[in-house]
Amino acid sequence: MLRHCTIAELLELRDGEGTAAARLHMEGCAACRAELERLYQRTATLKALPALQAPRDRWPVVREAVLGERRRKRVARYAWTGLAAAAALVGVVGIRSIQHSGADDQAAQEVATLVEESQQLEAMLHQIPREGRVVNGATAAAIAALEDRIALVDQGITRAQAVSMPEDAMADLWRERVVLMDQLVDTHVRQVAYVGY
Amino acid sequence: MAETTAAVVDELAVRRAKSGDLEALEGLYRAYEGTVYALARRICRTPEDAEEVLQETFLEVCRSIRKFRGSGGGSLTAWVKRVAASKALIRIRYEKYRETEELEEERGWSGRHDGDVGLRMDLETALARLPETTRAVVWLHDVEGYTHEEIAELMDKTVSFSKSQLSRAHARLRTWLGEEG
Repeated sequence: MLRHCTIAELLELRDGEGTAAARLHMEGCAACRAELERLYQRTATLKALPALQAPRDRWPVVREAVLGERRRKRVARYAWTGLAAAAALVGVVGIRSIQHSGADDQAAQEVATLVEESQQLEAMLHQIPREGRVVNGATAAAIAALEDRIALVDQGITRAQAVSMPEDAMADLWRERVVLMDQLVDTHVRQVAYVGY
Repeated sequence: MAETTAAVVDELAVRRAKSGDLEALEGLYRAYEGTVYALARRICRTPEDAEEVLQETFLEVCRSIRKFRGSGGGSLTAWVKRVAASKALIRIRYEKYRETEELEEERGWSGRHDGDVGLRMDLETALARLPETTRAVVWLHDVEGYTHEEIAELMDKTVSFSKSQLSRAHARLRTWLGEEG
């Protein structure tokens, strides 16, 4: 090889991949050997550049995002359970209202109204934008506590349906669910308003 | 040293992290925070971008640690770094500051760039002056030890693209550092 090595050829030599012609040239060319040595030194200096430290701790943000994703998955699970229970109950209420009269009828009607309210709140909750939103610790804890209580009430409703619990007891459970759902929606709406502001 | 941490994450901690244990996940963050930020900062243009990459990397790590099948700290480090490199490259690909500076065609090391005569700077400054994609190739290949094939895959480019970026980068660095013979 009659010419000097190109940088590409020197890089290949540095990485142990040079051609035979380039290696042969290096043996007889002091200038190219010096250039290769400079390349080695530059690479070593690059590796020895000072470490850069993140100016802020990002773990709290990551943690909150992870918890947010877990909450959303849990909400999706209990929302499905709640809606399924509600749908089943609307059927039960309809049949029972034919079979019963007086106080039972009144309680059955109240249950039907509460189921409808609960479904409307579920729908509202799904319309609130939550993707990627960061909430503070206190709000996150309040949301998690409400979600847990709703999940427990849903379990109670499912059990109550299985044992054909009286309508007034059923109405109590659905009333509690509506109150909790209302608080949950309210908490989310206030958070969105705060972030928006 | 560019390598900022000798992360010690034992198998038990990884198992706990895989089960979703937040303390164990924070342990991973603490062990690799420096490594990930250093890598991101060398590739991204601003410290803010690097912080975003740090955050995105660990969100991905928390989401995907269950799928991690390697064993031993070495492969975990490589996996976390790969996630970080991928996030950093995505960031520079879509970032609003587009690279307008085209590096000159490769030439022999004896070539002279007249516009740069008399310009001398230290390596860190010179590295920062390179276009982002070029700088990413230099950092990933020369410091992190990625092969051109791996870089090409990460960047969705060809191997020859990676090689030519590296050659052009060294030609520039050489001139800027005043190393011309």
